[in-house]
Amino acid sequence: MMELKPIQWVRHTVTHPAEGFEDMRWKKSGSLKIAFFIVFLLFLAQIACDRLYGFQFFTTYDKMFNIFPYIIRSFVLFGTWVIGNWSVCTLLDGEGTMKNICIYSSYALVPYILQMLLNTFLSHFLIRDEFVFLQMIQIIGTVWTAVLLFSAIKSVHQYSFIKTVLAILLTIAAMLIMLFLLVLLLSLIQQIYIFFSTIYTEISYRIRT
Amino acid sequence: MKKNLLNLAVPILSAVLISVSLTVSDVSAAEPYDVYNYDRWGDAIPSQAGYIAERAVSGFDLGIGAMDTPSDIFFAFDDNFYIADTGNNRIIAVNGEFDNVVRIYDSFKMPDGTETALKKPMGIYVSEESQLMYIADNENSRVLICDLDGNAVSEITKPASGVYGQKRTFLPQRVIADKAGNVYVVLNNITTGAAMFSPDGEFTGFYGANRVQPTAEIIGNFFSNIFMSEKKRARRVRNVPTGITSFDIDGDFIFTCTSSSTQTTDIVKKLNAAGHNIFANMELAFGDYTPMYDTSQNKLLAPAIVDIDIAEDGNINCLDLTTGRIFQYDEDCNLLFITGTKSNQLGGFKQPSALETRDNKLYVTDVLKDTITIFTETEFGKTVHEASALHNSGYYEEALEPWLEVLKRDGNYRRAYLGVAAAKLRAGEYKEAMKYAKLADAGEIYNKAFEGWRMNFVKKNFEVIVAAVIIIIIASAAIKYKLKKQRAGLAANKPNDKAKTTKS
Repeated sequence: MMELKPIQWVRHTVTHPAEGFEDMRWKKSGSLKIAFFIVFLLFLAQIACDRLYGFQFFTTYDKMFNIFPYIIRSFVLFGTWVIGNWSVCTLLDGEGTMKNICIYSSYALVPYILQMLLNTFLSHFLIRDEFVFLQMIQIIGTVWTAVLLFSAIKSVHQYSFIKTVLAILLTIAAMLIMLFLLVLLLSLIQQIYIFFSTIYTEISYRIRT
Repeated sequence: MKKNLLNLAVPILSAVLISVSLTVSDVSAAEPYDVYNYDRWGDAIPSQAGYIAERAVSGFDLGIGAMDTPSDIFFAFDDNFYIADTGNNRIIAVNGEFDNVVRIYDSFKMPDGTETALKKPMGIYVSEESQLMYIADNENSRVLICDLDGNAVSEITKPASGVYGQKRTFLPQRVIADKAGNVYVVLNNITTGAAMFSPDGEFTGFYGANRVQPTAEIIGNFFSNIFMSEKKRARRVRNVPTGITSFDIDGDFIFTCTSSSTQTTDIVKKLNAAGHNIFANMELAFGDYTPMYDTSQNKLLAPAIVDIDIAEDGNINCLDLTTGRIFQYDEDCNLLFITGTKSNQLGGFKQPSALETRDNKLYVTDVLKDTITIFTETEFGKTVHEASALHNSGYYEEALEPWLEVLKRDGNYRRAYLGVAAAKLRAGEYKEAMKYAKLADAGEIYNKAFEGWRMNFVKKNFEVIVAAVIIIIIASAAIKYKLKKQRAGLAANKPNDKAKTTKS
C-alpha cells in the first residue's frame, strides 16, 4: 500500500489536505531535493508574476530590475519560516526535524506557485472585465496553500489543532524577531565597515603628507 | 591605397562630426536651459522645445519709460494687450504685435466729473460683452470699472454685507467678469475664495474656495478639537485653506490657481458656474512631479502656480514662480510643454508674475526684470498643438498623421504614443494599437485593443480552435485509457513477479 515515487508524494500531499502529510510521515517519505526545487520555483513564479503578467492588468516599472526583493520574498522568507518553526517547536515538544519541516512546508507551497503561474499564463488571454477569474484562482490557490501549510505543521509535529495554531503564531513572531535582528546586523556591519574605512582614509592621508 | 583612403576618410568624418556638433550647439544655444518633459514613468527626460523665447520687451522698447513691477497682462477682444504697470500706477494698452503703445491710462473721469488716479493696480480685465475695463486697484481698495476711453462707470468697494467680515481688508489682486457681467475679485489675504459681485456692484458671496488639505496634523487636530473647551479652541492655530492667487475665465468655466507651495490639493481648479470643481476627483498633478531640492537655498523647489491662462484652443498654461517655468496642459490636463527657467538671459525670469496667450505666442511679465518676454511656438509645438486639438475634439484618425510627425521629432514624447494608440484603435488596427499603447503605458487603451484583437483572432481561427480542443480531449482520453491498461497490466504482472521470487 502507498508505494509512491517522490514526485507522486508531492501530488498525493497536495491533493489530500487532511491526511496526505500523515501518510507521508507514516511512510517516512519526502525528498529534500524536491523541496529545494519547489522553493526555487516559488522564486521563479514570483518573478514571472511580476514581469510577465498581461499588460492590460498591471504595468510595471520596467526601466530597471532588482532581484533582491524576490530573493527575500522566496528564499529568505522560507528559510526564516523553517528555522523559526523548528526553534519554536523543539521547545513545544514537536516531533519534526529541521529537514522534515523544510520538506513538508515546501510541499504545501505548490498550489500557491501553480496559482501564480496559471494566472500569469491566463492573463495573456483575458481582458479587464474577466479579471474576476484571475482573482478567484488566486484566492483558491492561496487558501489551499494556507490549509496545506497548517496540515503540514500539524502532522510533522503531531500536534493537536489548538497547538498548531499556537505554534504558527509563535513561528510568525519568531520570524519577525529574526528579520529584525538581520536588519540590525546588516546596519551594524555597515557601521563597522564605515568606521574602518574612515580610519584607513585618515591614515592614508597622514602617510601621504 | 588603403592608407590613402583612410587619410581621406578621417578629415571627411571629422568635418561631418564638427558640422553635426555645430548644428546641435546652435539649437541648444537658443534657450538658457535644458528642455525636458516627462516619460511614462514620470521621470524627467530631455525633450524638444515647444516654445522658444523670441524677445523681451521693456518699457523703453515701447517708448514709455521703464515699467515698474508689471503684475498683470490681458489680451482683449480689440486685439490690444492691457498691462497693469503697478509701480507706475497706470494701465498700458499695447497693440497686438507688441511694438506700439495704443494708449496709457493713468487717470479716469468719474461719473460725477472728478478725476481719479490708480494706486498700485494689480489686475486688469477687459470684457467683450460690456466693452468695459475692470481694474483691481489694490491700494485704493476698489475695483474700478470704466470704458475704454477712460471714463469710469462705477467702482466696487468693500461690501457692507455681514457675509463679508468687516475686520477683513479689501485689497483686490485680480479681477475677471463673466458674460453676464458678474465680477469676480481675488483679494489679498482672503482664503474663502473670490468675492463675487452682481452686475450692479452688489456683493453676492464668495466663489470657489479651496479645500484644506487633509494632512495627518489637520486630521489629528480635528479629533483633539472635539475634547477642547471653547476658549482653548479659539486660541489655537486655525486650519485655513490657501487662497486663490489668480484665475482666468474660459467660456462658462473659471480656472483658478494657488501659489501655495506647501499644498498639493486644489493647485489648479476648473470651476463651473455653481463653483463646483471639475478637476476635484481627477488626481491631477500640476507643476513638476518630483520637485528639485535646492541645496544652496536649503529648500524644496515645490511648484507655486502664480498665474493661469486658458488659450483660445483650450490649452491651460500655468506659470510656476519657484522654477520660472510655464507648464502647458491640453484641456484634458495632459502635460504638453515645459518652457522657461529662472535666469537673467532671454527666455528666463527673475520673478514671473502673469502670463497671457495670443494665437501661438506666450507673453510673460516679470516684476523684477520689468519686461514682458514673448515666446513663439516652434515647429514641433505647432505639430503637437494641431494633433492634440484634433485628438481632444474626437478626430483620432485625423490626428494620426501629426502624432506620427511628432514621434519623428521626439521619440520620447509619451502623449504622441497615446494619440497613435487611440487612432489605431479607432481604425481597428488592434495589433498596432496594442504596440503603441504598450509604449505609452496606457493599460486602458491596451485592454480595449486586446479585446478587439482577441475577438478577431477567435473569429478568424474558430475552426482551428474547435479542432484543437477536440483533438486535445480525444488525445487525453486515449492517454488515460492507455495508462489504465498499463497499470492493469502491471497489477496483473505483480503476483507473477512475487510468485517468481518465491519460486527461486
